[in-house]
Amino acid sequence: MNIEIAEKIKKVLVDTLRIPEDELEFDSELFGEDIGLDSIDSIEIIACIDELFGIDMTGAPREDFQTIETLANYVETHKEA
Amino acid sequence: MADKRVVVTGLGLVCGLGNDVQTCWSNAVNGVTGIDDVKSVDTANCYAHKGAEVDLPNEALSSENYDRSSLLCIKATAQAVEDAKLDIKSEDSSRIGVILGSCVGGAASIDKYYTDEIKGGESDAGDIWKMSASAIANNVAKHFGLNGTTANIVNACAAGTMSIAYACNLIRAGKADAFIAGGTDSFSSLAFSGFHALHALDTDSCSPFNRSSGITLGEGSGVLIVESYEHAKARGAKIYCDVLGSGVSSDAHHITAPRPDGMGQMAAIKRAVENSALDFNDIDYINAHGTGTAKNDEAEFLSLHTLFDGSDNLSVSSTKSMTGHCLGAAGSIEAVFSVKSVCDNVIPPTIGYTAEDLDKLAEKAGKLDFVPNTKREKTVTNVMSNSFAFGGNNASIIFSKNPAQLPEKETDEKVYITGAGKLLGTPCEEGSDGLRAQFTSADFKAHGIKMAFFRKLDRFSQLQLLSGVSALENAGITVDETNENNIGIVIGTADGPLKEIADFQINAIKNGTEKGSAFAFPNTVYNAAGGYLSIFSNIRGYNATVANSIQAGLQSVCYAVDVIKAGEADVMLAAGTDENTDIESTLSARLGITGSGKPYSGEGIALGEGSVTLVLEKESAAKARNAEILAEIAGCATAHGSVEAFEISGSQKALEKAIKDACADACITPDGIDAVCGFANGNKSVDALEKGALNAVFGKDIPVLSVKEQYGEARAATAALSAAYAAELLAGKAEAKGFNADNAEYILAVSFGLGGSYSAVVIKKA
Repeated sequence: MNIEIAEKIKKVLVDTLRIPEDELEFDSELFGEDIGLDSIDSIEIIACIDELFGIDMTGAPREDFQTIETLANYVETHKEA
Repeated sequence: MADKRVVVTGLGLVCGLGNDVQTCWSNAVNGVTGIDDVKSVDTANCYAHKGAEVDLPNEALSSENYDRSSLLCIKATAQAVEDAKLDIKSEDSSRIGVILGSCVGGAASIDKYYTDEIKGGESDAGDIWKMSASAIANNVAKHFGLNGTTANIVNACAAGTMSIAYACNLIRAGKADAFIAGGTDSFSSLAFSGFHALHALDTDSCSPFNRSSGITLGEGSGVLIVESYEHAKARGAKIYCDVLGSGVSSDAHHITAPRPDGMGQMAAIKRAVENSALDFNDIDYINAHGTGTAKNDEAEFLSLHTLFDGSDNLSVSSTKSMTGHCLGAAGSIEAVFSVKSVCDNVIPPTIGYTAEDLDKLAEKAGKLDFVPNTKREKTVTNVMSNSFAFGGNNASIIFSKNPAQLPEKETDEKVYITGAGKLLGTPCEEGSDGLRAQFTSADFKAHGIKMAFFRKLDRFSQLQLLSGVSALENAGITVDETNENNIGIVIGTADGPLKEIADFQINAIKNGTEKGSAFAFPNTVYNAAGGYLSIFSNIRGYNATVANSIQAGLQSVCYAVDVIKAGEADVMLAAGTDENTDIESTLSARLGITGSGKPYSGEGIALGEGSVTLVLEKESAAKARNAEILAEIAGCATAHGSVEAFEISGSQKALEKAIKDACADACITPDGIDAVCGFANGNKSVDALEKGALNAVFGKDIPVLSVKEQYGEARAATAALSAAYAAELLAGKAEAKGFNADNAEYILAVSFGLGGSYSAVVIKKA
């Protein structure tokens, strides 16, 4: 996982989706019971990833949205592609 | 029965279909659309471009310098007043009020203010006064010289219907002879960008119950003159029809989506039918909410089929296929169409069906007649108009050719305060920022509110959720299946969720209409806070949010008592909430109104924030559960003295009237009041007006208490706090500097609103 990318994603999740920073780890389940993101939030994540990295995650599989780590890996993979 | 009859005597309308009632109605009946390409919002990079705008610039609506939502409403009101031949000069203006619904309020002015700032020009401080929905009813009252109760019901897309329903209930309660009742909303980049972000806009003109691929936004204003039958008869007014019963409910489900099982919608519809003393079979036409989103249309389809499948003669249509969805004005525009339908025995269609669509409709419509494409002519005796909103608010109202013997649901029972929840600010390090409330994740978790829930809320909703949940706990109320439908909410606010609105708007201005935040948008509606509170606590009864400047936090108490006395709830949460973020403190500083906040100092206000929720409960309900009673609400009154929406000077007599009326409602004279919990905030004219009115009513010796000395001008929050504080003093649970409440029996809470609105509540020792 690229830490720099993950930090950027974390910051945007904290700022945009009001997830308390001290309760958000790179491997926190974003759509699990605690943080509880939903479909509206995933629209926001797609918009933010597009804004930050110029990568369109529309239609990307659900697994890629699971954690900051999986999001960062998706970004890294698709940046190189 | 006769004294409960409320009739419609005047109509006014401006929307995408035309600039007067007759043009709009004629177009609606003939299936002419008002939807076209959007002109007032830059949609270049959006996936949708349709809207139903009013083809008149602000200058053509009215000569006043108000926000477009107010101007649209003045245009519609002028028609209605003329249509009703209501000669306001010959009437007692204090008996005619103004209750209007709005969703976006001053969104056009917020857009203008921040566009001016961001795009390099100089912003106009005058636009700040136009931002809040609070200004609308006060502007209309000023324009027409009306001094009865004012309120802006800001329950998003149900606001128009709820306004008419509340106005009729106040007339039935004898609190007014007539109301300007309806709704208004301008087209706004806020709403366009927000619904775009939610992917809730149709790329083509919407066609509800047909394609259901999204809404088309519109703008406009619909106004009804609703009047007691006696008053209408005495002045020889022409009567269009009767307004029968209404119903309001909460889904307690989701902030934007309706309950898929339609339970909330059906609760409102059932209440309206019951309150009208009708059967489902008596309804000839339903002007549906019918937005065109899949979620609405499916839930509404299910509700209608469930309740009305036994009807042989029911037609249903959505005029939004022609007017677009005018949000806070929708219910009012559809009310005008409903009245016209009763009068003309014709039903406007839902347009947009192709031959193939008609085949599909035939499969799913059952016995219901969805009036596709062309009008239906038939005898129309009873019409229901439904509105369902963000926040899960549902409202239904019935118009009829015939008067009805309405059920006797009113109660004379005492109303008690049985609990309170409070969250208020402490001084910021930077004094000019005023006072802010301190709370963290731990405060939510202490009430069992999970992160997955509270993180979705903006600050305004968070403040309200914390105080609302605390109030329920303080009152010892557990919401469950036995009481969930009999508990309601009324929230008052001066400025609503301005931070979320401004940030959303600023983002749309900087980055484009197409970059709106789907996460933030639901929080930009004023009633989101009430929605979240109902969702978390599972409250399914009445749910209203009133924007009416500072005093809205005390007006909410009056409103909540009205709901209980009308027999619509056993328990009501009455709240006042306003926030103080960088947005509010910057705007206040720009207006030059901030200072030490010391009452009577003339040094300016200290902007505060917070939320205060009172639990109001009718006597039998409180006694049945052995509730601890803090105090009794012995009397309530609101009054209005029309002045411009940014001042109060010149309206002192209205405060005096509110005080005297509240005392009379409590069956005491002002001599009986032991102390007043006042509203002085350090602003010269506010402090002087309070002093002047109290001197005039009580003489100089009345003790005046203050909550603002400690908490600043937290607007609706401190207005509600004045009532909570009075109750706690009388219950021996609080102390006041220089005043011993031991022998006190009555304390009066008063509050003011810019534009000249006042609320007064007499609290009695229990």
